[in-house]
Amino acid sequence: MVRYGMVIDLNRCIGCRSCAVVCKMVNSVPTGTWWQRVETVGSKEHMVPTGEYPNLSEVFLPVPCMHCENPPCVKVCPVGATWKREDGLVLVDFERCIGCRYCLTACPYGVRQFNWQDADENIKQGFEVAGFEENWYKPSDYKYGYPIDHRTKDGRLVYTKTRPRGVVEKCTFCVQFVDQGIAPACVRGCPGNARVFGDLDDPNSEISKVLKDRSTFRLLEDLGTEPKVFYIPPARKEGRGGVNYEKKV
Amino acid sequence: MKRKFDLAIAVLAVLALIGIVAWIMQLQRGLILTNMRNPFTWGLYIAMWAFYVGTAAGGLVVSSAIYIFGVKQLKPIAPVASVTAFIFAVAAMLMALPDIGRPDRLLNLFIYPNFKSLILWDFIILSTYAILSAIYTFVLLRPKIAASGISIPFVGTVMKRDMTAEEIQRLEKESERRAKILAPIALPFAILIHTVTAWVLATQLSRPWWYGGLLAPTFIAAALTAGPAVVILASLIVYGYRKDLQDAYRLLAKVSAFSVVALLFMYYNDFFVRQWWDAGREFDTIMLVFRDYLAIHAVEVIFMLLGTFILATRYNSVGGLVAGSLAVNIGILAHRYLLIPPAYNIIPLRVPVVLGIESFEWSYPIAVGDIRGTLMNPQPVFTAYWNYVPSLIEIAITIGVFAIISLVLLGMLRALPVYPQGSQ
Repeated sequence: MVRYGMVIDLNRCIGCRSCAVVCKMVNSVPTGTWWQRVETVGSKEHMVPTGEYPNLSEVFLPVPCMHCENPPCVKVCPVGATWKREDGLVLVDFERCIGCRYCLTACPYGVRQFNWQDADENIKQGFEVAGFEENWYKPSDYKYGYPIDHRTKDGRLVYTKTRPRGVVEKCTFCVQFVDQGIAPACVRGCPGNARVFGDLDDPNSEISKVLKDRSTFRLLEDLGTEPKVFYIPPARKEGRGGVNYEKKV
Repeated sequence: MKRKFDLAIAVLAVLALIGIVAWIMQLQRGLILTNMRNPFTWGLYIAMWAFYVGTAAGGLVVSSAIYIFGVKQLKPIAPVASVTAFIFAVAAMLMALPDIGRPDRLLNLFIYPNFKSLILWDFIILSTYAILSAIYTFVLLRPKIAASGISIPFVGTVMKRDMTAEEIQRLEKESERRAKILAPIALPFAILIHTVTAWVLATQLSRPWWYGGLLAPTFIAAALTAGPAVVILASLIVYGYRKDLQDAYRLLAKVSAFSVVALLFMYYNDFFVRQWWDAGREFDTIMLVFRDYLAIHAVEVIFMLLGTFILATRYNSVGGLVAGSLAVNIGILAHRYLLIPPAYNIIPLRVPVVLGIESFEWSYPIAVGDIRGTLMNPQPVFTAYWNYVPSLIEIAITIGVFAIISLVLLGMLRALPVYPQGSQ
């Protein structure tokens, strides 16, 4: 049985947000909506260290959907529009969701996003806010994103470029690529190679080896959601990434 | 009296129309017209939904008091009570409707039900309760309907039958017998509507403001506060203040007043337990209430206490009953509104930040869902705090639902022969 998971090495994350941008590009994510967030932990602004000199910390934490083994969003959905596939991917059926947003309430990671209006309107609004002239953007024009609608084997629509209004969406681990045997866009687009994606149940997969070798943690483990996104904790960096411990007390 | 009634109907009709127009606008543009966003996904609609579920409790109190606890003085107002139970159970479901992003797909609730989801169960329980209340009302009124019929505007009187006194007596006996059977069946549902509504929220471990076993009991206490107060108001509209109803009003006022005390006890008991630890997410919810929502908290507590005081001391006058019932309901309304903000503004994903020997927890911001601000003055896309204030559209729809429900309630009270024999 295949069970997909991801490891993110926080030592390698440089906080460039490439994963968030490439995710937006290939998944046609509407303006203002982000399936993938990267923030500097503890800081109000990204890329600004937190704390007071010399006690500073600058850890970048990317947060995709955790694709939990025990997903609260799946349990609360009254119509089963979000479900956990056999390979462990937690997906949303765009054609079944009634937009009650109970899953946004249930998800402890804040990864679920609602289409509050038409995606075209969102994009138009984005251009307006950015100061472009009126009519600069035409909704009928080219739309970015993976061009083909994707359905699971049982025919459920899990990816489409034209997002229906009033439904919930979220990170799918790029289901349209995973079904073709290609890793998610954020894994391929990470310039620091911080991410490993693969089959957790296969002991010979790269991700299983990484998980065996390195100590990892998961977010909000005490909630019992059993996320399938693992993090390799950042070591305190001194010099060139080496760790120096004082020998004397 | 007739002119006042017509004026009230006219005002309510205008408000209902505004609400319907607002809802059509929201259907056209989407929920963007509300002030809810991804970090704050439920707002006024859901607060009002919980409020209406509470106000539907009146029918339960009255019918169970009559047929299970044998309080006979409540019998004359039983039909009014069960009508309010029906109408507010419907109101709760109607209120949740504009909150749904895709109302056109509501049938999916029947086609693909997920029985693990408590929203589905809430829908099942609420509709069952509404149907049971309707049946119960009909059973109670059957002899009177047969005697004087239902007067529907523009249609005239229907279901009137010419009967002998003997037949009417037989119908009355039958109605009594059936009501006795129905009351214990309806009672568990009446308790369940509040419990399951509370469970929708209380099961969410990611929302410490709701999570826990105490939410369902406080929902029942809030229902036993608001429900009887609503029955008092409705029967004052129908019957006015009459000598033979004095006992009924006093009993309802007492139930409502006592429930406020129970509610406040459970509420502050929870507050104390949460604040004692001085840290953590549970503690932060309380701090958020006192820091950002103190005004709403003050309204809920002051109005509840004021209402209790009036209901406990002035139950012998119309003014006292009206003022007390209204005050109690305003308090419960504020209580219901306060369900929402502390749940969302404590972000569940908190990451520990370790700085040398210090450490603190930091809330991971959530993408808002649209672009706000201008080029020179951009608003953050990711935020860990959403200052929710209901938008005009939300308020218009909420008032519209209230107006529609009041219209239907007044219309039903007028059409059905709820008046006791001999007075009209």
